[in-house]
Amino acid sequence: MGSLTFEGLGKSYGEVEVVRDISLTIAEGEFVSLLGPSGCGKTTILRMVAGLVEPSRGRILIGRDDVTNLPPNKRGLGLVFQSYALFPHMTVFENVAFGLRRRKVAGTELDKRVREALGMVRLAAFGERYPRQLSGGQQQRVAIARALAPHPRVLLFDEPLSNLDAQLRDEMQIELKRLQRNLGITTLFVTHDQGEALSLSDRVGVMAKGVMQQFAAPEEIYHRPATGFVASFIGKPNRLAGSVAMREGSGGRLAVGGVAIPAARIEQPAGAQVDVVIRQEAVAIRSGAAQSDEIAGEIVLRSFSGARVQYVVRLAEGVEIVAETASHGPEASLTAGAPVALAIDPASVFAMPPEGATA
Amino acid sequence: MMSRRQGLLLIAPLLLVLTGFFLVPVLMLLPTSFGVYEPGAGLVNGAWSLKNYSQIVTDDYYREVIWRTLGLGFSVTLLCLLLGYPLAYLIARGPERWRVPLILLVIFPMLLNLVVRSFGWIALLANRGLINNLLMQLGVIGAPVKLLFNFIGLFIGLTHIYLPFMVLMLVAAIRNVPRDVESAAATLGSSRAHVFMAVTLPLSASGILAGSILVFVLTISALVTPRMLGGPTYQVMATLIYDEYMQLLDWPSGSALSFALTFMAVAIIWLSSRLTKRWAGMA
Amino acid sequence: MSDAAENRPGWGLTATAFTVVAFLQLPVIVVVLAAFSTTSYLTIPPQGLTLAWFGKVLSDPTYLSAIRMSLILACGSTLISLVLGVAAAYALFRKVLPGSEAVTSFLMAPLVMPAVVVGVALLQFYSMTGLRGSLVGLLLAHVVITVPYVVRSALASLSGLDLAVEEAARVLGASGFEAFRLVTLPLIAPGLVAGALFSFITSLDNVPVTIFLISASQTTLPVLIFSSVEMGIDPSVAAVSTLLILATGIVLLLAERRFGFHRFV
Repeated sequence: MGSLTFEGLGKSYGEVEVVRDISLTIAEGEFVSLLGPSGCGKTTILRMVAGLVEPSRGRILIGRDDVTNLPPNKRGLGLVFQSYALFPHMTVFENVAFGLRRRKVAGTELDKRVREALGMVRLAAFGERYPRQLSGGQQQRVAIARALAPHPRVLLFDEPLSNLDAQLRDEMQIELKRLQRNLGITTLFVTHDQGEALSLSDRVGVMAKGVMQQFAAPEEIYHRPATGFVASFIGKPNRLAGSVAMREGSGGRLAVGGVAIPAARIEQPAGAQVDVVIRQEAVAIRSGAAQSDEIAGEIVLRSFSGARVQYVVRLAEGVEIVAETASHGPEASLTAGAPVALAIDPASVFAMPPEGATA
Repeated sequence: MMSRRQGLLLIAPLLLVLTGFFLVPVLMLLPTSFGVYEPGAGLVNGAWSLKNYSQIVTDDYYREVIWRTLGLGFSVTLLCLLLGYPLAYLIARGPERWRVPLILLVIFPMLLNLVVRSFGWIALLANRGLINNLLMQLGVIGAPVKLLFNFIGLFIGLTHIYLPFMVLMLVAAIRNVPRDVESAAATLGSSRAHVFMAVTLPLSASGILAGSILVFVLTISALVTPRMLGGPTYQVMATLIYDEYMQLLDWPSGSALSFALTFMAVAIIWLSSRLTKRWAGMA
Repeated sequence: MSDAAENRPGWGLTATAFTVVAFLQLPVIVVVLAAFSTTSYLTIPPQGLTLAWFGKVLSDPTYLSAIRMSLILACGSTLISLVLGVAAAYALFRKVLPGSEAVTSFLMAPLVMPAVVVGVALLQFYSMTGLRGSLVGLLLAHVVITVPYVVRSALASLSGLDLAVEEAARVLGASGFEAFRLVTLPLIAPGLVAGALFSFITSLDNVPVTIFLISASQTTLPVLIFSSVEMGIDPSVAAVSTLLILATGIVLLLAERRFGFHRFV
């Protein structure tokens, strides 16, 4: 077991810098996710930790050992791949035994530890099967057992749940979290799925274009996004083109097509062109006429998705916003054309540089 | 992971063998092809000339052999295409249970020794061979028809030898034509023949070209079958090279012919790859 | 009407296709018939049946030593081609070297070059270096003509491989070579068997290169048949050919049973 530390970690391919100066420490037993869109550099970081990609700059430490220049087989890590990467020509037992055999574990000790690992993922009875005889979820669990069996110092996950269907993914999330808590193993988890990252992790690192945007606890990331990118990437944002209408203290008013929207925090000067980012879940919807601090609108479209209902609301000509409400709530069955009043929490409104400009 | 040095270490042995025993020997033929050979005296030291190349174009006998070789190449390719397409179509689009047995029956003669197959054709085509015997017994002909040591013999034999290559290339090409597209054409009102002409054939065109090039190049390079079915008198380029080296000992002339043959093979492959690239650009 | 039935080839096409298949087997059948025939030329119906020609072949030291020589060359060159070819293909697959496309073309070049040209080039080269008639020279010549088949099948098998599988082995503690031996090699083995089989058959089949390089005392089976046909036909050629047909058929069926050989062609 051990902590995992990056010191000024960077990677370039020719002129292209895919990972830029990452420094952070993941404490022993901590579960950290790297979250970001594809191409943000998160997988490159994971592969550098595993020793599959050579860093261009900086150091990687496990505990106090500098592993930057060690080959992958000398790092003592566990890695669960997106494609699972099970050995198709070996039984489940042999797959799990592979890492142990490389560490010269043999005989009854080998047997015991393979069974232990398979037991942890509830596949004790499947040792003699081949990977192709298992379902996707079972293959995933074999991959986890295989990574756990040699008792790695750090466990790495590369988008491990992205090949599972939605229901299975939720089940595996809970199982994974339970397993990690029980074993207390330092874990680095790479994903593009914010739900996964927020629900599993002790801390989340949000990345864009090779740069760490924010590294903090999930609640902090969600409620206090450090950058416009984080604000627009986390949650379900509306993104509307507008401008800064008025500054007032640290906040002010934003204008979107003639509609004024108060915001608690604005960095741009009055008059600047901005993208206004508003979370769907931060928009409260109520049928009837708008009060003074509310915004009037009209339902255009209703869309039911189980627990929640989404409305597309027209605020003015050409300005539409998506609002969300609980599907068992009082405002769940509004029909198209109905007049509504929207209340938007100024703390959940963000002004960002317009799309296309550099973030 | 793997370093450049490790990669180099892995590939170096093969590169060395191919350089030493393929590239260098072939390049060393080049000076020979400009050498001067005196019958009875051998290679003349220090002398060089372009005669070995010029005679290929000017000498009537060489010209005849070259035209014959190219003629065989075209005819064999065409016949392989005509015979191969129906079989390939049946393998690609016919009943599932026939596919593997049919493919194996196509591969089997291909894997069989070339000498053995050519020998089989001698037994069939000779004056006292099976075909002549049968025809005479049936009273169709009075005297044996000459089927060996001429164009007919080589044409039949070479077609048989290279037909499996064509079939396998065509099977791959036809299987690459999406059935949905054929079905779409059919639902749009195309007859079966029209679906074939308008969809299947054009979409398998690159495979047809690849198979044709392969058969053509193999045919013009063939030595064993032309020698066995054509004898020492009915020559093609490869058998001529063989005789220049083994019988006449005229290495300069033989090596010039070798380069001419290689040039023809490489040129046709180059042309076809240009053509395929242009097609790919259009798609 | 199912769409399979709609597209099914018609009777005319099926009949044509089966005629072509029969045409492909024709000389094979004739050779086998000739091997059992009492006459030195073929008639239908055969004049009589005999096993005498097989006896003659199997007791003839010329044939036996030619068979031995062919097998030594085929086994030896296939083995060398496998080792060199798989190593090279693996390096190309990992894309650690620049210009891998050009290198691949170079490795395939012996397939494009007319075999007779390779033959005369090596004849001249061996005459100058004194390798003519030597076993080493012959072996390396056969490696040159067989290695493209191994490289091709190795590259094809590797391209279907999930790179992550080997990385998984590395992270689990396997050295680079261990990962290759324990994971990659078993996974590409079926394709390699097909490549090795092609290589073996190509070597066993070869006349246009071998004939320029052998010494008078040591000949291979196809070269022996090739030259004896020039001398005049004898049914013992048919008998030895029948033995080759039998061996090829058995190997093909075994390879199909074990690996589904037709997938690799």
